[in-house]
Amino acid sequence: MELKRFIFRRIIQVVVIFFIILTALFLLFRLAPGDPVDRMVDPTMTPEDAERLVAVLGLDQPLWTQYTVYVKNFFRGEFGSSFHYGQPVEKILWARLPNTILLFTTSILLSALVGIALGKVAAWRKGSKVDTWLTIGSLVTHTVFLPWLALLLIWIFSYRLGWFPITGIISEEVWLDPDAGFMRKALDVGYHMVLPLTTLFLIHVGASLLVMRSSMLDTLKEDYILTARAKGLTDKEVRNRHAARNAALPVVTGVGLSLAFSINGGALTETVFTWPGIGRELVFAVSHSDYPLAQAAFLLIAIVVLISNVVVDVLYAYLDPRIRY
Amino acid sequence: MASKTRIPFQMNSLFRRFVILAGVLLAVGGSVPEVRAADLVKVGLLEEPKTLNEWLASDAWSKKVLGLIYYPLYIREPDTLTLVPWLAESDPVYDEATLTYTIRLREAMWSDGTPFTAEDVAFTADVIREFKDSSRLAKFEFIKEVEVVDPRTVRFHLSEPMAVFRERTLTTPIVQKKQWLPVVEAARKAENPLASLRNHTVKDPVGTGPFVLQEWKQGAYLFLKRNERFFGKGLNLAGRTLGPNIDGIIFKVFGTSDAAVMALKKGDIDMFWWQIQAGYIQELENHPDIKLYTNERSALYYMGFNVRKPPFDNVALRRAVAYMIDRNFIMLRVLQGYGTMMTSIVPPGNVFWHCPDAPEYAARVLLRDERTRKAYEILTEAGFSWDTPPVNAKGEVVQGKGIRLPDGRPMEAFTILTPPADYDPARAMAGIMIQEWLRTAGLPASAKPTAFGSLIDQVKGRHEFDMFVLGYGSLSLDPDYLRNFFHSENNKPRGWNMSGYSNPEFDRLADESARTMDPEARRKCIFEMQRIIMEDAPYIPLYNPHLVEAVRTDGFEGWVPMLEGIGNTWSFCTLKAK
Repeated sequence: MELKRFIFRRIIQVVVIFFIILTALFLLFRLAPGDPVDRMVDPTMTPEDAERLVAVLGLDQPLWTQYTVYVKNFFRGEFGSSFHYGQPVEKILWARLPNTILLFTTSILLSALVGIALGKVAAWRKGSKVDTWLTIGSLVTHTVFLPWLALLLIWIFSYRLGWFPITGIISEEVWLDPDAGFMRKALDVGYHMVLPLTTLFLIHVGASLLVMRSSMLDTLKEDYILTARAKGLTDKEVRNRHAARNAALPVVTGVGLSLAFSINGGALTETVFTWPGIGRELVFAVSHSDYPLAQAAFLLIAIVVLISNVVVDVLYAYLDPRIRY
Repeated sequence: MASKTRIPFQMNSLFRRFVILAGVLLAVGGSVPEVRAADLVKVGLLEEPKTLNEWLASDAWSKKVLGLIYYPLYIREPDTLTLVPWLAESDPVYDEATLTYTIRLREAMWSDGTPFTAEDVAFTADVIREFKDSSRLAKFEFIKEVEVVDPRTVRFHLSEPMAVFRERTLTTPIVQKKQWLPVVEAARKAENPLASLRNHTVKDPVGTGPFVLQEWKQGAYLFLKRNERFFGKGLNLAGRTLGPNIDGIIFKVFGTSDAAVMALKKGDIDMFWWQIQAGYIQELENHPDIKLYTNERSALYYMGFNVRKPPFDNVALRRAVAYMIDRNFIMLRVLQGYGTMMTSIVPPGNVFWHCPDAPEYAARVLLRDERTRKAYEILTEAGFSWDTPPVNAKGEVVQGKGIRLPDGRPMEAFTILTPPADYDPARAMAGIMIQEWLRTAGLPASAKPTAFGSLIDQVKGRHEFDMFVLGYGSLSLDPDYLRNFFHSENNKPRGWNMSGYSNPEFDRLADESARTMDPEARRKCIFEMQRIIMEDAPYIPLYNPHLVEAVRTDGFEGWVPMLEGIGNTWSFCTLKAK
């Protein structure tokens, strides 16, 4: 009952916040100086031509009219056509979404699993060489500049050693070959995924590891651990079934939130690896004042983040019986 | 039972699983066979083309691809840049009495097998005028009618003589009536007809070019294959025999120049269709299988004044500033030597229209002191004074301070707006250098990198600025833009006369040049216009960067250098495998 009321309240919150974001996005783009037509630098385009283009894009209407059209269209499920692609923005984003989810979800889950496993070990062996190296390693990989790491990996493994393709999501040789089957194409994507995945993994594993380690150290001080030991349970049982399980909770919340943020595609990663995901589209849309596309992309991120926040809250309550709302 | 092993078992097994997975992927991935057909040229792009709709395409990448599919009646030949008949068969026949141009068309086919006729030409022109397509209307507005005399003859009826007809109208790509008529008819009924036309999804563009679209895997690659129905196969034009001799072109997208250059060095692509920045040039020069091409660009990077706002309405001040700017230094330090000195608004690469004898303001003189003296001379003569003059009583050049206007008041601090460094490092740096040079003469200048949208709004929209540094990466080869930049009628919000320059003599010459159909006569006008502008200096041209491009030499040969680079029709039509 309590939980149901809590979920209901959270959903109302989400809806309100979402509308605030919807409006803020609209205003941010419209109020920034300059518009998409300004970027079209063609000396023969007279001011009248420019104005006509502005009207074609619907930007000549008064702000309030634009806003009401915008909100009405949102409820109708219409998000407008991209100024540059000419396509409905949903189509563009839907095409890119799977690529982003594939890469980022995999990397986050992988880094979480490994982070938990290694963090557990580091805490258990606190003060040892293993712990020191794992901690230092995490700090280094977590703070390294992502594009630099990405380019370094590309340079070493693709350029020098030739083990992996330089960028992209697929090889045209495979996909242009009429005989290539599904398995081969799937493996081709996997092959292209290794370097971006490794980059993201290295960047994120550190965070999970350190959180897990710290949480584990706190858990190990708890009385029930002492009890478990006193009962005669093996080290492994105490560590895994009693300590790690509880210590992992903060990491789970962290992962839940990361998954939400992963949808913004990590524009840097996607740009360096030419991974056709949402992040890259977003950067392009913003820098070229492609309002419909940029707005829709931000809205998508907003919805996912808001919903995952609710889900994580509920999950936490479910996982930890001590928490009551 | 305490664990004896140092390495925990979990990590060991997880790690092992990862290694095995990696090994499998490597084994399979590494064994991708060379499926590529013999003669496919791989071209790297920096961004993905956005659309195949000729009416919507405004980004450089879409235009590059569409430029190999849709073609105009005349194109420029690579050595002299003169117009040669492409879809036209011969030069246009001009009848002064009726103000008409009659053009005979070649026998050509669209890629779907239907014949290319005068109907298509008329249709294209009619759509542009009916829908008032913003990027093309200026080139077609003055055309009263496009008459289909017979399937292979088209006649343009002009309402008034317009010089841009030859240079710009006849170089506008033609679309197929058959493919676009249904779209146009549907667009006419829509609430926003031009939007409907632009947003139409084109999956299969039917063109007359040497290539057709085979497949576009969005986000990954774009495959153009040879158009077997291309009219130009075997044609001898501008001293070259056209192919194409290659089976097709595969365009691959790279998110960053770093990745593209690595791909080029590794052999994943044959050509990178974008400028190679100075930082990469050395390593590419040393690579045995890579060749660099340096070409001129039809570009103009300049500094502009707000001539509406005192004291910038004082021509002596503007000329003095022109002297203070060390353009050599900018070329060497900002462009690393890869550039051409700009001594006029029209780039020197545009050989026919560039005026070689306009005032240069010692552009080629290297000595800083000489410049300062010259500026000092001009300003003193015009009545300016200083608290500390930059040339002291002994005639030595010193740090000037506190310049005063002819009426005695100190000059107010002013700003030079530039794009931010992440948008264009060259312009941002130029701004800072100019600031420093002006300060040595006692002028209170401050360079202010500003977000591009905001910059355009202040300079072009609201006319609220002092000085600015902007540029055009790719100016049309027709110099009509001089009229757009400096004619007083364009001095309005959103107009291209951003400096507010107003000179009746210039206006008269500009109007005359627009109507002069004879190129030689027009050239005299255009030269005089350039002299006037350089005399009055509302804009000071700064630099024109070279275009350096890189190709691999082990796959294909036959790249044709031309103004604006080797990525042109001539290259792709004469390229062949080694």
